[in-house]
Amino acid sequence: MKFPKNNIIDNWLNENGNPEIARLVEKNLALTEKINSILKERGIKKGEFAEMLGKNPSEVSKWLSGTHNLTLKSINKMEFVLGVDLINIEPIKEIEYVYLGSIQGGMEDAINDYEQTIYSEAI
Amino acid sequence: MNNFAHIKPIAQYKKVGYYSLCINDNEDSLFEEFIKQHTKTNEKKLDHILNWLKVIGNRYGAQTHHFRPEGETADTSALPPKGADRKPQYTEYGKKKANNLRLYCLRANEHIVFLFSGDIKTTKKAQHCPNVKSHFKLANQFTKAIDDAFIDRDIVWSDDYTQIECNEDFKIYF
Repeated sequence: MKFPKNNIIDNWLNENGNPEIARLVEKNLALTEKINSILKERGIKKGEFAEMLGKNPSEVSKWLSGTHNLTLKSINKMEFVLGVDLINIEPIKEIEYVYLGSIQGGMEDAINDYEQTIYSEAI
Repeated sequence: MNNFAHIKPIAQYKKVGYYSLCINDNEDSLFEEFIKQHTKTNEKKLDHILNWLKVIGNRYGAQTHHFRPEGETADTSALPPKGADRKPQYTEYGKKKANNLRLYCLRANEHIVFLFSGDIKTTKKAQHCPNVKSHFKLANQFTKAIDDAFIDRDIVWSDDYTQIECNEDFKIYF
């Protein structure tokens, strides 16, 4: 059975979708999938995880559903009991300076001494 | 008169293929009608559900925990999954509100999902809600019929269970 080239889900989201909702769904799912995969890797059952957190299993199920509005406090608690960083709190670098070397005589001399090279003539 | 439906492929993502059903000779599938119906009245709630379909379709595959169980007579599911009623992640007019829009579906496996129809759920139990009751019952009927079609090999899996095949004129009677 062939799928249509026209993807009606993507089309709808492109025409009507709110980027804020898209971002929230994506982040929420990414976070809970990360936790679920850690639990799976370590063989921790949901009930055991609830016990580690000192929470009711039904509440933890809600947390891991991917639709729950997790608080920073609950994320921190899960990070603490699992010993992992679930969210990145590194400062945002808007501009990064890279050292390329020094110019002899300073910037002004370098500008004055600049000669344009016409590559077509140089060949 | 017996009603019938035929399968219509809807959208293929990297990890999930979505299908729907067209009832009798309708050109539009149940899912397409669902989108049309809720675009004006429940745009944000629909936006949320469609984003779920896209993200799980592209990144994670259709895992059981991405859906809420809604089986009555068959293994029907719905979106969004449980948990949304308590603390929804989006707001309307500045106030947090639950996404009570339901889209009933059949998660055949992590690669194949059938999308049916749905509406705004107003009661705790789907069976008691005047809006979703018929969608819920129909989704359970379709789920049973599709499961039977897999058993009877009217619908067959590809070798790696990522695709399905059936005759073009195959009809599901319900």
